[in-house]
Amino acid sequence: MINFEYTKAPSTNAAIKARSSFAASQFIAGGTNLVDLMKRGVMAPERLIDITGLPLKDLGDGPAGLTIGALVPNSAVAEHPMVKAKYPLLAMALNAGASAQLRNMATVGGNLMQRTRCPYFYDTTMPCNKRTAGSGCSAMEGYNRMHAIFGASDACIAVHPSDMCVALAALDAVVHTSGPKGDRKIAFADFHRLPGNTPELDHNLQTGELITAVQVPANRYNKMYYLKVRDRLSYAFALVSVAVALEVSNNTIQSARLAMGGVAHKPWRLQAAEQLLVGKAATQANFAAAAELALEGAKTYQHNGYKVKLGKAAIIEALTKAMG
Amino acid sequence: MQENEQQGPSNQGRRSFLKRGTALATLAAMPPLLVKAGEKDEALSAYFEQVPLNIEINGKPYALSVEPRTTLLDLLREQLGLTGTKKGCDHGQCGCCTVHVDGRRINSCLSLAIMNNGKKVTTIEGLADGDNLHPMQEAFMKHDGFQCGYCTPGQIMSAIACIKEGHANTAADIREYMSGNICRCGAYPNIVDAIMEVKQGGQPL
Amino acid sequence: MGVNTYDNNGWTVPDEDRADGLAKVTGRAKFVAEHRPAGLVYGVFVCSTIAKGYIKNMVISEAKKAPGVLDIIYYLNCPVVPGYQPVDKAKNPKGREYGGLKVFYNNQVFSNGQPIALVVADTFERAVHAASLVKAQYIVEKHETDFETNKHNDALLKKRGEYLRNEKDAWEKAEVKLEAEYHIPIETHNPMEMHGTIAVWEDDTKLTVYDKSQGPKSVQSELANIFALDEKKVQVITEFVGGAFGSGLRSWPHVHASVIAAKKLKRPVKITLTREQMFTMVGYRPSAWQKIGIGASKDGKLTGITHHAVSNTSQYEEFTEGIVGVSQFLYDCANVNTSYKILPLDVNTPVWMRGPGPATGCFALECALDELSYQLKMDPTELRSINDTAVNPVNKLPWTSRYLKECYALGKAKIGWDKRPTTPGTLKEDGMLVGYGMAVGVFWAGRGAATVNAILKQEGNLVLQSAVSDMGPGTSTAMVAIGKEQMGLASNQVRFELGNTDFPNGPTQGGSGSATAVGTAVMGACDDLKVALKKMAIEKIPAFQSLKAEEIQYEAGQLVSAKDKNVSVHFTELLQQANQTELTVTKSSGGFAQREKYEARSHSVHFVKLHVNPVTGVIQLKHIVSVADAGKIINEKTARSQMVGGAVGGIGMAMTEETLHDHRYGRYINSNFVDYHVPVHADAPPMDVLFVDKPDYILSPTGAKGIGEIALVGVAPAILNAVYNATGKRVRKLPVTPDNLVG
Repeated sequence: MINFEYTKAPSTNAAIKARSSFAASQFIAGGTNLVDLMKRGVMAPERLIDITGLPLKDLGDGPAGLTIGALVPNSAVAEHPMVKAKYPLLAMALNAGASAQLRNMATVGGNLMQRTRCPYFYDTTMPCNKRTAGSGCSAMEGYNRMHAIFGASDACIAVHPSDMCVALAALDAVVHTSGPKGDRKIAFADFHRLPGNTPELDHNLQTGELITAVQVPANRYNKMYYLKVRDRLSYAFALVSVAVALEVSNNTIQSARLAMGGVAHKPWRLQAAEQLLVGKAATQANFAAAAELALEGAKTYQHNGYKVKLGKAAIIEALTKAMG
Repeated sequence: MQENEQQGPSNQGRRSFLKRGTALATLAAMPPLLVKAGEKDEALSAYFEQVPLNIEINGKPYALSVEPRTTLLDLLREQLGLTGTKKGCDHGQCGCCTVHVDGRRINSCLSLAIMNNGKKVTTIEGLADGDNLHPMQEAFMKHDGFQCGYCTPGQIMSAIACIKEGHANTAADIREYMSGNICRCGAYPNIVDAIMEVKQGGQPL
Repeated sequence: MGVNTYDNNGWTVPDEDRADGLAKVTGRAKFVAEHRPAGLVYGVFVCSTIAKGYIKNMVISEAKKAPGVLDIIYYLNCPVVPGYQPVDKAKNPKGREYGGLKVFYNNQVFSNGQPIALVVADTFERAVHAASLVKAQYIVEKHETDFETNKHNDALLKKRGEYLRNEKDAWEKAEVKLEAEYHIPIETHNPMEMHGTIAVWEDDTKLTVYDKSQGPKSVQSELANIFALDEKKVQVITEFVGGAFGSGLRSWPHVHASVIAAKKLKRPVKITLTREQMFTMVGYRPSAWQKIGIGASKDGKLTGITHHAVSNTSQYEEFTEGIVGVSQFLYDCANVNTSYKILPLDVNTPVWMRGPGPATGCFALECALDELSYQLKMDPTELRSINDTAVNPVNKLPWTSRYLKECYALGKAKIGWDKRPTTPGTLKEDGMLVGYGMAVGVFWAGRGAATVNAILKQEGNLVLQSAVSDMGPGTSTAMVAIGKEQMGLASNQVRFELGNTDFPNGPTQGGSGSATAVGTAVMGACDDLKVALKKMAIEKIPAFQSLKAEEIQYEAGQLVSAKDKNVSVHFTELLQQANQTELTVTKSSGGFAQREKYEARSHSVHFVKLHVNPVTGVIQLKHIVSVADAGKIINEKTARSQMVGGAVGGIGMAMTEETLHDHRYGRYINSNFVDYHVPVHADAPPMDVLFVDKPDYILSPTGAKGIGEIALVGVAPAILNAVYNATGKRVRKLPVTPDNLVG
């Protein structure tokens, strides 16, 4: 790792200013992904701006929903009694990710910013368009068992690794930011990007723009589940994962939100499947139909063809589990 | 046979920040002797690359000077001789380096030492009260919660936190919330037994 | 529990607890990289990024300028290593050229990740950074790393053993038969402690090395040979070893590199490998393809087994292991033929990993037997019992001991075998498919030579010393148990010191042989101590003067006259009277004396109950019962832990572990703990361990047969057999992951 300059930002504005004025800088909070990437030489910022002193640590619920400060640790969200009671999907997704130690370190803002776990991105000796634009995608013709089946491009087939973000996508979260050009709110679906021709960009934040909070709108879902299928029973990234939020009355689905992880460069909303389920009875047949529809259009590569079958299975299982 | 030039990771070359304002400010504050020594590029960079760190470790305050890139783990092991905290992967993937910072378990390999300024760190060396072992250390002995012993400090630090967090109510809970600590010798069932016993014993941790 | 001490720097533990447990739970145990000789500096490797070819140019200028850098060592400036030089056999017929990878010897690259330079700097961070600045330019040659596509490529394969007993391929004529292929990927040992070495030269002739090793003596002898030193002037210290599972069975490039660098720089150099380098530098279990043809009569008597295997090695060394042996000796079968071939690839060299050979071979054989049992509609334990054998079918020699039938009975009762569905995929529990499976594990039970010092102290303690190391099973604890029993002492009066080549010769810890080899020497040493004490009593104690040695009994520390029980003296008093602070004997014990007459094996039978989610294919292990026929159990607590640990290793082999190459680059792509999955807590179910606990005194007076390997061997096939029982899906390629079973 190169040595770098370290500054601790005294205020949000100072942090934004410091970041905007020096291109080779990065914000750091939990550091669980950034420090790892720096150790591997994938990222080499010359200045780190420590934002952990900023007042972005509140978690509160109001009529508009849940607001989580960007610096709230993942574990604090997952363990919060109100979150567990009213937003269990979020707590489940958080607890499905990483380890207890990492969840203590990692922040909500950082979780949104984490980068793909594609092995070619991490190994600087092999080509990767996300790491070095134009160098090529090693995964396309390489080992791609963990890779995308939706929304990929010729430049990149990596997937977004977060579990929390899959739940946030399903819950129509809104990302609050501050930046050189002021504050803005970004719909969750618009936060992360598909790779297209610019796989080096994971998200739509501008330089210097800082996530300040994530807001989860109040909702009426009464059946929720987060299912993660992985190669071991804990502490592993998803083969596929499914977030389910349903509003069900009299065994009829009034509204539905479904999102998948491990299948695309961003959390993947299954809107067609959601629409199919609305007004339907919560039956295995309807779940299977939704799963079938959800995986339509999937494009697989040499090693990840299983994700279609496993994805359907996971959707059915998650819906079944949500119904309890 | 073909010739091929392989490039490693991109590098920034000589670092740019030395030329910038903070460096000059530091230069002004440097004692003359050091400035003289600082004429050598290496010594100068060494001086600049150190930042002050005040940290409490196992109840003892330390006033240190560290490179920003030094992790808490390497600070403990290589500079302070606190080698009880282990390095098993250096990438937050195994849990050997688990310590408590302000009472919460973290992976010290992914935590920059400087970011722990003003914090209280507890390592395995800080658990025993004089000659009296911590109940979790006793339970690990009793239940043989290890073989080679290398992951053990991390397991013990994690186990204490697991109970304190309220994640040790069932064996299944313990298994899930201890999964960030890999044991290649496979002492898992024994570790679970040790944690269950301490949890049920209800002793202060 | 208070921390008591004895002997100033020792510790006390409850009877059955680990002798070194206190050091381990307090963080006091010093592992290799934690020693800090004065002036220590850090070495970090630069590794090749091609799999085959030559270094054309090393660009080190930028790295040399980096702060703190003391030296950059690579093939152009590496001092001559005597043992690396070709041996002129005419002049030196006994000369031995080093056969492993010669680090920084020349510009040749044999595998991706091979160390090609060592950057030494004053701090770890600076060494790591400077290493990233070294650039190599290569002349690239076409490499081959793909086992799968070349496993039948006769142009590359090398035959390494064929066996025929009676009729070849007799299984084909059997009434009931099957033929199937089985695959295992490369598995990597991945002990939690990464390998490391600290080399300290006192002068040009005396070398001290702190090294993570299973065989300090073998490292000592290798380093003496390679660096042309007097073996007595090479000291290897390996006090604590943070796991190894075989990766410490030999020394590796980093051991040599640290010695080279420390000599060049004239200061201590520490190299610790990164987790990534743990995949490229310290061996692995090779990938293997196996084909088994097996046939039986309708009543289940085996009539023929054909077992072929191919496993990979590197281009610069031949690595072989006994994969097909199990088909030759485990069951009674008149007609057996086997073949074994190795496939050299442009990869680093494998090394034995827990249960080497049988772990791979039993996966195929024990799965094939399970498949056969369904065809026969016979309980798989019954099928195995029918084909049990009292002698090794290869040479007709009897077993020193064998209690497989006892193992079946114990295990079946414990796991609830009667609930096992005879038709796969028919039992459900809480919506989950339920499966039961079993398999046998076996490993050679050996007994090597060992020497120990036994030092009886005037204050009442016994110190035992041998230059072995303990990677985790609890050698110290077992030796303390033997010592205390022999000498009638309490556990806290006995200490076993190890991990230092200044102690007498001990065997490399591997192949489950430590307990029998060192234990026999400890017993012999204790006998010798008693003889010496009796002699001393006759000489020094008036009341004993008239007695002959055989008229004196040793009972719990007391020397007692057989003629008059009132005539007695405790050895502490005796030593006092003799004005001796301690009494030392050195005892050697040889290998298994009756190996011409007997065959010795340890056995295990593993039983597994698991759930498979019928929708997603996710497996949840519910219960593992491991039963061991391992002779006398010296310390049940640590023995149980070894069995449990082996089962966890078997879970990894069966369900999670696979080291992957990208063959385009010839490079590992999952050399980390995110992508290479070793089992975590959540993967380990409740486990029971049962011991037949019948001593094997033919093999050694300890009665033990060894546990380390059989703890793992057989676990993977038991899991795969249970998966079949639950789902009706026969998976013959490890690891079995949810995508294999979905839907």
